[in-house]
Amino acid sequence: MISRILDSKTKNTISRAVEKRSLAQDRRSAYKSTFFRVILQAALLLTMLILLVLLVSVFLNGTDHILSRLGDFLNGTMRSRSVDEKLGVHQALYGSLWIVIIVAVCAFPLGIGAAIYLEEYAPENRFTAFIEVNINNLAGVPSVVYGLLGLALLVNGQIFGLDRITGGRSTLSAGLTLAVLVLPIVVITASEAIKAVPNSLREAAYGVGATKWEVIRTQVLPYAAPGVLTGTLLSVSRAVGETAPLILVGAVSGRLGPNPGLFEMSALTDKFTALPLVITSWTQQSGRDVGFTAAAAAAIVVLLVVVLVVNSVAIGLRNRFEKKRG
Amino acid sequence: MRYSTRRLSPLTAILVSLVLLMAACNGDSDTDDTDDDNGGSAQSTDDTVGVGEVFISGSSTVEPISSLVADMLSDVNSDIEVTVDGPGTGDGFKLFCEGEADISDASRQIKASEKEACLENGINNIIELKVGIDGIAVMTGSDNTAVDCLTFEHLFDLIGPNGQGTKTWVEASSDLPDETLTIFGPGEESGTFDSFVEIVLEGLAEEAGVETTTRTDYNPSENDNVILRGIQSSTTSLGWLGFAFAVNAQDVKLLSIDGGEGCIAPTPETIASNEYPISRDLWIYVNADKAAANPAVAAYVDFYTTEGLAEATSEVGYVELTPEDQAQTQSRWQNRTTIG
Repeated sequence: MISRILDSKTKNTISRAVEKRSLAQDRRSAYKSTFFRVILQAALLLTMLILLVLLVSVFLNGTDHILSRLGDFLNGTMRSRSVDEKLGVHQALYGSLWIVIIVAVCAFPLGIGAAIYLEEYAPENRFTAFIEVNINNLAGVPSVVYGLLGLALLVNGQIFGLDRITGGRSTLSAGLTLAVLVLPIVVITASEAIKAVPNSLREAAYGVGATKWEVIRTQVLPYAAPGVLTGTLLSVSRAVGETAPLILVGAVSGRLGPNPGLFEMSALTDKFTALPLVITSWTQQSGRDVGFTAAAAAAIVVLLVVVLVVNSVAIGLRNRFEKKRG
Repeated sequence: MRYSTRRLSPLTAILVSLVLLMAACNGDSDTDDTDDDNGGSAQSTDDTVGVGEVFISGSSTVEPISSLVADMLSDVNSDIEVTVDGPGTGDGFKLFCEGEADISDASRQIKASEKEACLENGINNIIELKVGIDGIAVMTGSDNTAVDCLTFEHLFDLIGPNGQGTKTWVEASSDLPDETLTIFGPGEESGTFDSFVEIVLEGLAEEAGVETTTRTDYNPSENDNVILRGIQSSTTSLGWLGFAFAVNAQDVKLLSIDGGEGCIAPTPETIASNEYPISRDLWIYVNADKAAANPAVAAYVDFYTTEGLAEATSEVGYVELTPEDQAQTQSRWQNRTTIG
């Protein structure tokens, strides 16, 4: 009874308000919405402008190396003078490329596997909740802490003597450290993607007699694949750009001697460097030798292209899975 | 559907070819390994300088010299792979005493505690070699007659964090002239900035209980020529630069510095003799056992003590050793004179 009175009361007020709205009020609210749209457009424009200025200035600074001696620059090594013909980023490319490969090979199967277990198999109890909370916390731990972990376990071999396998300060140590760093991110994004799979899909599969594994393999994973790939894509981009943990794991920032071929796997246990470190190092050296500013800018362009290639491969894969799901 | 799979097949093809390429290259590198092994055994029987790796760590001030020497050597002999890192003198000695680094770069002499750490790890044959001098010149405009000599205290008052906001010399330090003060110097990313802070400001800043850095309202530049033009532009300017660069500059006046033992003018002689207070010696420490076992280390230091001392030190902006000091460094290396 009371609710019906309230109902009719609110109905009345609403209809009265609508009737009362004059033309002036309509116009005012139209202004308001235009105003808001302009502000939002300005926000987007400013973001794009900042990005554009950054990209253009980096590219202009780096033109000396990018346009006139790209081949030499990509094949060259770290040198102490910016005018050196052999100056280049080959060693850094080797380091960054293999770090990405190691992260992909180690972190993705582990992380996606853990996510499938957490979402599909794990019982819903306090212990599972506790683990999930901890994984979320791990994703927020500063990267330097992972660097310290890598230093203790992989470089110094303090507990299991792992330095005998990794070779101490090496590409392998760096890749494994970054794999651990991105693992929580992979687990979180993959489990979010699996959570988003509609339950009706699972029930239908069970209904026609599929086993649990068949349901996961044929229904859940293909449906969740685009989301899982987005997560892995984010984590690879993060791994390519990390600097702090690499410094701790002993990346060389001065001059690196060995210059292995891009796919020479025996050099994985050798001393290494990576693109972000070379950029940092050359920027610092520009105090002594101004020409390094251009070299650093060119290295940034190379790093951007690497990130772009990695991203487009992942986006291509994602589109393919999305079409399948279609 | 058929269209979509056909469109995406290049992607799969790329992935597959990448995997195949990796597998193929892995096979290659296996044969490389055996080649290396052969080279290694040939090396131990031969006297010839062969393939080898050298690892140097330590002071970021010395790093440019060691890197340039490595560059120069690699142009002559590309079989020697030299890695140089510059985490700092202390970190360098740590790696050196753990036996990881063959050579340690240092902007000061080794401490007794560091020597002990080396001894504990069985590294007791260390060769100490002086490779250059890092000197800093403090300058003003060439027509400035009011100032000839500054003490470390003056420099701390003028350039240290306490000088923040002062517009005239007298405002910063009471016994200096009442003239406009404009300061030019290298920016924070520069090694000369670090050296100046460490040699001049650090002790006084600790005493005064302030941050060990400069004031932030000076005119920093990463380009030595810009700093020089700034100092030339005003009679009562003040600035600092690496000595090797400053000594050739026109229209500036190099100030004498009083580090507690009277005013000393910066000249190559006073810097080489360590009389001029804003200077420090640069060293490399060689693990003699590693130099004996690894011909690449010996070849590198050979090159360092000859061509390196002659060209690299001055090329990267430090003061070259006097001929006598160069000869001393060379004889120390040739006789493998270790420190006690």
